[in-house]
Amino acid sequence: MGNSFAMLMDGFQTAFTPTNLMFGLLGTFLGTLVGVLPGIGPALAIGLLLPITLTVNPTSALIMFAAIYYGAMYGGSTTSILLNTPGESGSVITALEGNKMAKAGRAGAALATAAIGSFVAGTIATLFLAFGAPTLAEFALTIQPAGYLSLIILAFATVGTLLGSSRIRGLVALSVGLVIGLVGADLQSGALRLTFGNLNAIDGIETVTVIVAIFALGEALYLASRHSLVPVEVLAMKGKAWMTKEDFRRSWRPWLRGTAIGFPLGVIPAGGSEVPTFLSYGVEKALSKNKDEFGKGAIEGVAGPEAANNANAAGVLVPMLALGLPTSATAAVVLVAFQSFNIQPGPMLFQTSPEIVWGLIASLFIGNALLLVLNLPLIRFWVLLLKIPTHYLYAGITTFALLGAYALNNSTFDLQVALAVGFIGYLFRRFGVPITPLIIGVILGPLAELYFKRALQISQGDWQILIDGSFPKVIYSILILVIIGPLVWNFKKKFAVNKK
Amino acid sequence: MIPKISKQGKGELAFASSLFLLGIFVAWDVSKMEIPQGSSIVSPQTFPYMVALFTSLVGIALVFEVLRGRYATPDGDEPGDPFLPANFKTMAILAAAIGLHVILLEIAGYVVAATLCFWGVAFAFGSRKYLKDLGISLAFAGIVYFSFTKGLNINLPSGFFEGMLGK
Repeated sequence: MGNSFAMLMDGFQTAFTPTNLMFGLLGTFLGTLVGVLPGIGPALAIGLLLPITLTVNPTSALIMFAAIYYGAMYGGSTTSILLNTPGESGSVITALEGNKMAKAGRAGAALATAAIGSFVAGTIATLFLAFGAPTLAEFALTIQPAGYLSLIILAFATVGTLLGSSRIRGLVALSVGLVIGLVGADLQSGALRLTFGNLNAIDGIETVTVIVAIFALGEALYLASRHSLVPVEVLAMKGKAWMTKEDFRRSWRPWLRGTAIGFPLGVIPAGGSEVPTFLSYGVEKALSKNKDEFGKGAIEGVAGPEAANNANAAGVLVPMLALGLPTSATAAVVLVAFQSFNIQPGPMLFQTSPEIVWGLIASLFIGNALLLVLNLPLIRFWVLLLKIPTHYLYAGITTFALLGAYALNNSTFDLQVALAVGFIGYLFRRFGVPITPLIIGVILGPLAELYFKRALQISQGDWQILIDGSFPKVIYSILILVIIGPLVWNFKKKFAVNKK
Repeated sequence: MIPKISKQGKGELAFASSLFLLGIFVAWDVSKMEIPQGSSIVSPQTFPYMVALFTSLVGIALVFEVLRGRYATPDGDEPGDPFLPANFKTMAILAAAIGLHVILLEIAGYVVAATLCFWGVAFAFGSRKYLKDLGISLAFAGIVYFSFTKGLNINLPSGFFEGMLGK
């Protein structure tokens, strides 16, 4: 504990150099800018901005990333309140009540409770992250390859079955992701698979290309096919983005409850920010004295889920940093950002690159504070961005996404991959298949293979090792609960309905 | 009894079966892998075979899901009516704009490729102000090109403008 505190102070020292502070400021600005644009969620925002950090030194670049990470989340909530097109699952709930508030002329209060709530939740959750992640990393050093494999399989199962409307479609996304992850040379033997004789494919498919293409190009293709592009109405914002005492009184408990729900659900692989925001909304609705306001613009319904969303974003960083296991699309992009500097997140990270990781955590605090200062006064500027016509917006997103895919390796092969993946993204949207499990499959699939092989090499080929020891047993028990539990639950519900 | 399959159901069935075929295809490709002799205890084919099997099984499960009438519910968080038939014409224009960018980038340079791509996407999304769009496209491509090559030192193909713009 004490050690973490001292390290965090060192981190602040790293982050507070003028250069790094400037990159932090730039990151918050760019993150919000891109996050505000409709149709761009945090994962795509970070993916699009990845090339910008290529020429900067690792510490500054990652500090900028931390700022972009929170900035994109803030930006997203502004869009869902004023435009009612959330664009990413974590903001669906915010749009529900926030947009109603905006229609009733209370946009200012909705934006303020979202911003301040995100700040409160982000700060508390980052504090937990700072003290929780090193502890987890220390524990993780004792985890054997078989244990890691069990963790990855648990992440596959939860991300695959908890997201979206249909379990099978979640698994569909996962399987396609795993197939994409297979492309290239086998890490140990160098044997080639699914490369079709293409030399460029030997190194595998770039994760960033997949993320950028599936979100940006897939979305653009889907929207183009939908054809009925009704111009979305931007709600006017009157007055300042601020809350009354009454708003504040009604908001602070939801903020704290949202944090309490969002953070732990980010740490365990529960599949992104969808579940915690829905849960938080449900809790606030159940506890509220103004139940009749829900569905018509209740401030608790914005405050809670927004806090949960941000706390969740910090929670997801815990397994990402300490175990090297991303459990949301956004965390996956941050992992890729680390890897592009040849830094591998995982248990060793806190020992091998303490300067970078503590600088990053410190700048999460700083970025969070900067955002509060930057966002409320600048809100009118952000609102202007919402008025960009749809055709220019998507023209810009598409062109910039292609640039992102190209600039990483300066190769047109990546562009061809992007086009193909964009088409997969279109099919997924058309047939109701969620995107996140695919990304988790692409990034964790090769890791799963690695740990699978390491485990079997330790045991000289005896498969028993995969379930040996208490750690894998505990994880697989949780896995069975996660899979079977909801089935029993559904059956009971159906049974109850039939009885009636 | 199998319920009557709607048009949407047919599309979904095609999607589900293609997933099954993807699994078979992966297995076939993996079976042809050239493996260096005596490399390791675990064959490099084991894990890919598991992925192939998983993919095919999920594909079969999805076929049954669709046959039982459980169709996809598209995400409600995007504009547009999800149940309208797809407009393949606008989609094709968009895909062509992207394809053109891929082909032209290293031949004609970034500015040309990006301008045409931006313009094409705007056209696909229904904009018909050709000249104004061209101006905006060119401005966008130019700003991106210069801020990346001069500001960030990330090289982009200069194409026609090589020499003219300097390196």
